[in-house]
Amino acid sequence: METVPKKGDAPVLTAGKGISWMAALKRDKWLYLLLIPGLLYFLIFKYLPMWGVLIAFKDYSPYLGFWKSEWVGFDYFKDFFMNPDFFRLLRNTLMLASLDLLFAFPAPLILALLLNEVRKAVYKRCIQTFIYVPHFVSWTIVVSITFVFFTVDTGVINKMIMSLTGEQISFLSDADWFRPMIVMQSIWKETGWGTILFLAALATVDQEQYEAAIMDGAGRFRRMWHITLPAIRSTIIVLLILRIGSFLNLGFEQVYLMTNSLNRSVADIFDTYVYMMGITQGAYSYSTAVGLFKSVVGIILIFGANYIAKKFDQEGLF
Amino acid sequence: MKIRMRKKWMALPLAAMMIAGCSHSETSNSASGSKDTIKIMAPLLSPESPSDKSPSLKALEKYTGKEIKVTWVPDSSYNDKFNIVMASGEMPHAIVIKDKSAGFIKSVKAGAFWELSPYLKEYKNLSQADEKILKNSSVNGEVYGIYRTRDLIRACMIIRTDWLKNVGLDMPETLDDFYEVLKAFKEKDPDGNGKDDTYGMVVPKWMGLGNGSPWDVLQIWFGAPNRYGVENGKLIPDFTTKEYMDALTFFKKLYDEGLINKDFAVMDSAKWNDPVVKGKAGVIVDTGSRASQIQSAMEEADESNKDIIDIVGSLEGPNGKRTFPTSGYSGMITIPKSSVKTEKELKEVLSFLDKMNDKEAQILTNNGVKGRNYELKDGVFTSLEKNNKSLLYEHEGLAQFSMSIPKSEYYIEDQKNKLFQHRKDIITEGEKIAVFNPAESLVSDVYTQKGAQLDNIILDARTQFIIGEIDEKGFDDAVELWKKSGGNDLMKDLNKLYQSSK
Repeated sequence: METVPKKGDAPVLTAGKGISWMAALKRDKWLYLLLIPGLLYFLIFKYLPMWGVLIAFKDYSPYLGFWKSEWVGFDYFKDFFMNPDFFRLLRNTLMLASLDLLFAFPAPLILALLLNEVRKAVYKRCIQTFIYVPHFVSWTIVVSITFVFFTVDTGVINKMIMSLTGEQISFLSDADWFRPMIVMQSIWKETGWGTILFLAALATVDQEQYEAAIMDGAGRFRRMWHITLPAIRSTIIVLLILRIGSFLNLGFEQVYLMTNSLNRSVADIFDTYVYMMGITQGAYSYSTAVGLFKSVVGIILIFGANYIAKKFDQEGLF
Repeated sequence: MKIRMRKKWMALPLAAMMIAGCSHSETSNSASGSKDTIKIMAPLLSPESPSDKSPSLKALEKYTGKEIKVTWVPDSSYNDKFNIVMASGEMPHAIVIKDKSAGFIKSVKAGAFWELSPYLKEYKNLSQADEKILKNSSVNGEVYGIYRTRDLIRACMIIRTDWLKNVGLDMPETLDDFYEVLKAFKEKDPDGNGKDDTYGMVVPKWMGLGNGSPWDVLQIWFGAPNRYGVENGKLIPDFTTKEYMDALTFFKKLYDEGLINKDFAVMDSAKWNDPVVKGKAGVIVDTGSRASQIQSAMEEADESNKDIIDIVGSLEGPNGKRTFPTSGYSGMITIPKSSVKTEKELKEVLSFLDKMNDKEAQILTNNGVKGRNYELKDGVFTSLEKNNKSLLYEHEGLAQFSMSIPKSEYYIEDQKNKLFQHRKDIITEGEKIAVFNPAESLVSDVYTQKGAQLDNIILDARTQFIIGEIDEKGFDDAVELWKKSGGNDLMKDLNKLYQSSK
């Protein structure tokens, strides 16, 4: 029996073959209407301001404004690449980013796997809630807490080390300690929050597989290795690709707040450099050029990672 | 029907935009027309801005004969907002500039502000502006703003006198005495608790060079120049002088012997007073107002702590008594050309600013309205705002566009305590022995572009030298790096400006 669709029924979604796009537009007009706010959001707040990056190619002066400032082409990019700071910044940024990827990225995965093994549901949920808290603490507070704990003479950590070894470690001012401190702070702050996606993926793993594995006599680690990890592999890959895309975005606040005269040689990264040049020195065009360079590297990285993931027959991001 | 509905929906945001647009054009119309209204942009440092109905503001409007509209911008984001305002073109008639930031200099070079030197002499108060401070505030000799007067001398050594008594020493007068005192504060148990838990001087983390850090002040006492010295008629950076290195070696000694806090490179300057108030350290080198803060904090903790803190304006070094001055002003009031288009309008704004310096206006901005904010009995001033902050906020913000030229004529509560008197003495004495920065008014393009990085090189090397991470050779290497990174260009540029400014 054939039913005539009544007015107001949800339109039937069929393949668009044979229908002109005008007709498709007319048919799903309400759906497209729903799309408008989202599109407007991206147009107005994401794409429109993006034209601002053009000041990287101009000698921008706030008084003259965007239109009256002179075009200078790639001058600022040349300046940047010729600058002796360039390699130092690149090295510092890459080092910190690599350490971050190496240590801070797997941390939530490991924690999620551990939580997954917790038997008591109440206990597990309590832990989950508690470990989300640091995510909501601002970097300013995190850095202040770090100072209180790690400073020499009055810091708790140094008092303990002092009583054990008779010496103090200048965690905050020793350049060698800068990177470990940054990575540890990141782990402390974001690991709990990072578990959310992994835990969601873990919840979808087919329980029967575990039962079968137990019948076969597989231990905990075997089950984790052969069932859990392969099951959430695609989630891991997607998160990894996203992480690589923001590889160079190390977060300005944290690094800026941790910087001082004694660790600046390793602490200067692109983000802090852009701040120093752009906001404090008023070199808008130059710092925009630096920022643009960073973004271009980010895009290359995300496409590269996606390509490699696909090469290895994994689900990519797009 | 349906279509019309949709159109109405679309019309809503459009209407909102139009309303916003209208209000904008309205204000800008009045801006370019007659100058019955003066629009000012100023930083806000108090928690609350004076409202439109503030009695002080109303009285000020009556006195100046202009309607005053102030755009208050939180102090912390003032420079960012300034750049945005410059870019937007919607400019007020008078803008407070906090410092000669790169953004300001760029706008000056693009011709955004009136050059005021030819006009100032026509006005009763403005014509009496101090030549030296006017020059300090200028951009290579050209005056783009009317400076806001501040005490020229603020630096001093703050010390706990009870500790001094406990270790049996007199008030230090020379740098050698100073060292003795710091050493005694560390070793002779000044708080008498039998434990080795005190040290001499507190030094916090500091950003920037030559802006009044304890090191900067001590360098001057040691005989080093203020940022730049003059040798054979040419400017040289202070860190290439022998006196500077002597000062650094002294700092290193203080650090090595534990006479200053070990964490000075990272210590938060907001907690600067704590070690002194809590009885861990006995000396701070900073402004006199900090001494008053510490004194009142200590009195709050224990009433018997009266008159416990004292100050010394300068310690005698190898080159005699010297002191570190401020530039004598804090920011200035500029007049943009895009909102004040003609000379006639400019003169209107200037005569308004001139009036702001009359005694009546100074009192309104700094003290408020008589009978409401303060009382005057037989010429003795008493504030009525002690327990009523909202009264204070009625006029506190207005002081941000008060210039106090030729001199401050508002009331200051007569404080009978010793510390307050000492601060006054130090200011009078200090003006004679102040060591000025010969390049204060010079604005070099090189410094605008690379100044922060160049300063950081020296700042970092100074800290590294003090804690012993680098030696004298390492410091020389840093100076070489400074030269290569743009320091040589900077000196060439500054010297050119210096010669032509003479």
